[in-house]
Amino acid sequence: MIDLLTTRYTYVLFAALLVVGLYIVIASSNLVKKVIGLNIFQTAIFLFFVSAAYIEGGASPVIHGEGGPYASPLPQVIVLTAIVVGVALTAVALALVVRIYSEYGTLDEQTLREVRADE
Amino acid sequence: MISPFEAALFVFVLVAAVATALLRDILAVIVIAGAYSLGMALFYAFLLAPDVAMTEAAIGAGVTTLLLLLTIARTARTDHTQLLERPNVPAVFVCGAFLVVLLVTITEFPVVGDPGIAWDNPAITQYYLEHAPKDTGVENAVTAVLAGYRGFDTFGEATVVFLAGMAALLVLKREVFTNE
Repeated sequence: MIDLLTTRYTYVLFAALLVVGLYIVIASSNLVKKVIGLNIFQTAIFLFFVSAAYIEGGASPVIHGEGGPYASPLPQVIVLTAIVVGVALTAVALALVVRIYSEYGTLDEQTLREVRADE
Repeated sequence: MISPFEAALFVFVLVAAVATALLRDILAVIVIAGAYSLGMALFYAFLLAPDVAMTEAAIGAGVTTLLLLLTIARTARTDHTQLLERPNVPAVFVCGAFLVVLLVTITEFPVVGDPGIAWDNPAITQYYLEHAPKDTGVENAVTAVLAGYRGFDTFGEATVVFLAGMAALLVLKREVFTNE
């Protein structure tokens, strides 16, 4: 267990954050909080990719003549793309939240379900 | 092997994430989520990904927090009479089971920072590290791949951001292109 924490710590953190993000998305009744949970879930996966590229004692992938070993740039690039796509997704989700609020006057999932059932 | 800085960040990020899950006041949750995002950015910097760290700090901690605060300003801040959320027992059970499965899988993973890990295809990585400065004239291999080799990918990403902006405008029923 201690060995797992000291040598595979990024993966342990990845698992823990993934689960916390998932819990917020499932359990929170507030729609804004669900979006925050989605963001935490995302950052956990970014951490997984970045730690896959990491080399202990290496350098960041900025090449100066004969150096190295360098961390792999390829997972880092896909994470950069994913961060930007993630914020686009967050923006659309929050726009929908604002629209839902102006239509129904609530952000609570349970209340929303009741209001929609009454219609 | 974990360094003391990384151990401190590990604890900070985990505590921030759990606090996000437990606190009820949405404004407090947003502020903690911003701090969490900054902590993650530092973690990426320790894992030799400075570009990812800067993007996360600017977009995750900056833009996302701003968007969340704007949303709160236009909607409602939930009642802050209760400090903590009531735990959802079935969700805790499901997430706990999922965590156990993930941790069991992780014991089979290679050690963090191991140079010879299986998914890090050394031949392909080495190709980009050797050719990127010559092919593109950019020393930073991440920038070279992002804007050079995967330029069309990045163009597609820009299209996604544009479409997201259009979708947000459509949802909010704002017509900013007419001057009537």
